Amino acid sequence: MNAPGNPRREPARGGEGAPRQGGVAGARHEGSPVHRWLRHHGYALRVALRRLRLHPLSSIANIVVIALMLAVPILGASVLQSSQPLARQLSVAPQLTLFLAPDVAAAGQRALLERIRSESAEAVASATLLPREKALETLRAEPAWAQALAALPDNPLPDAIVVTLRDSEAPARQATALAEQWRQWPGVDHVQLDSDWVRRLESLLSFVRWGVGLLAAAVAVVVLATVFNTVRLQALTQREEIAVARLVGATESFVRRPFLYLGALTGLAASLLALALARLALVPLNEILGRFARSYGIEWSVALPAAADLALAGAVVVILGAAAARLSVTRRTRF
Amino acid sequence: MIEFQHVFKSFGRGRNILADVNFRIDPGEFIFVSGPSGAGKSTLLKLVGGLEPPSRGAVTVNGHRIDRLAARARPYLRRTVGVILQDAHLLFDRNAIDNVRLPLAVIGLDRATATARARAAMEKVGLRGKEDLNPIEMSGGEQQRLAIARAIVGRPAILIADEPTANLDHTSAQHIMDVFRDFNQVGVTTLIASHDTGLMARYARRTLHLDAGRFNDIPGVPA
Repeated sequence: MNAPGNPRREPARGGEGAPRQGGVAGARHEGSPVHRWLRHHGYALRVALRRLRLHPLSSIANIVVIALMLAVPILGASVLQSSQPLARQLSVAPQLTLFLAPDVAAAGQRALLERIRSESAEAVASATLLPREKALETLRAEPAWAQALAALPDNPLPDAIVVTLRDSEAPARQATALAEQWRQWPGVDHVQLDSDWVRRLESLLSFVRWGVGLLAAAVAVVVLATVFNTVRLQALTQREEIAVARLVGATESFVRRPFLYLGALTGLAASLLALALARLALVPLNEILGRFARSYGIEWSVALPAAADLALAGAVVVILGAAAARLSVTRRTRF
Repeated sequence: MIEFQHVFKSFGRGRNILADVNFRIDPGEFIFVSGPSGAGKSTLLKLVGGLEPPSRGAVTVNGHRIDRLAARARPYLRRTVGVILQDAHLLFDRNAIDNVRLPLAVIGLDRATATARARAAMEKVGLRGKEDLNPIEMSGGEQQRLAIARAIVGRPAILIADEPTANLDHTSAQHIMDVFRDFNQVGVTTLIASHDTGLMARYARRTLHLDAGRFNDIPGVPA
């Protein structure tokens, strides 16, 4: 006799036609633990697919709901990832313009230029003096300004120093700091930060990044709730099957496994559908964005994130589906 | 071997369904459990099948103390006990052979072997050629035989049946009892709950008589 509590360890006795006196029935044909494990999972997968087929409308509805929710952060991530190179490209060489006071003589202007070059050598790529006459000449060359300037009796422009900064990790922040510093110098009337809009773009992207993260978290909750509810209903409709399985010696894992596959399959199907929907949505979106970007002289289009990133996101959804099913079935199969 | 020692069973704070039940059944015996409705027959069978633990006392089945068995180990014990309930508990979303194959899927048997054994089990209970039928298309007697096929396909050491002939006509009941007798003759310990005194008389075996949860072990007339 075995020690109580270990019926699994009792070896099977008797031949093909004889009953067993304990232990696991059918042990001779169960094969290795790996084969048994594979057969259990194959069976669970078949049961899960059958259950999905048995209720096609509700299965499809659940998959579509999750897919629609998933498509939104995929599109958000696409826009975000496609915008980052653009922002980096635009912020490579931010410029600052120092407008000088009218009473600063030519020698004072050159002294200011030298001071910028010597005190901020690490940050400054180039600094050039732009006399007011040359600035006026440049503006007159532009048809939009020519008419307005012709109406003025005098040259309204001040002398200026145009500073181009070197590329850095945070160009917008660096430019702001230098502008603050130079604004205090005597002889400097005003400092215009030409890369202000880059900073605003960076802030906007940071906000979008945060928004996409929040959206992804909301989608995770939707996936969990939808799969949880689906599995709960499935478990209720499969009460009889669960009871019979327990009657013939099914373990809790055997009962739960098909539900986990159901959750994972729902997640997988929804991920694939979401990908297809996002790809479809990018066609008209790129047409609109392309026109908009070209009006600023930029070539820009939105592409889906890298395949590896999409595969990772899909895997997360599949795991979320299985986890929600596990949570639901643990609560619902104790009939 | 099945042994009950001072077994009590109640549900919640309710009265004792079984009260101080003691008996021993040796391997290969054919036993009737008799008694009026509500006497505790079904509860006794559930304890033997490991479907319920006792509230007090010791229940030993195939050498394992069910009262001390961890919940996660009970399924493995259940595989050694074939259970047939009054309601056959068949699954109507699949055909007959898939119903019989279920216990073999539970133990991870390969599909070809499982199919062969399920066919053999169905043939033993007289359901040859009905493998592809949905159980809903079968008569009450056939459904009960299908439940027996499902119970024996795992080659259990013990077969327990709760009122297996209660809803059947005389001929079907006779056929079902013959099936149980055949299995008992190859060494399967058989325990049948019934209140059909005529049936028990025909198969004249040892009878455990339960009355209001108390038990008298009445030796039957040898067959």
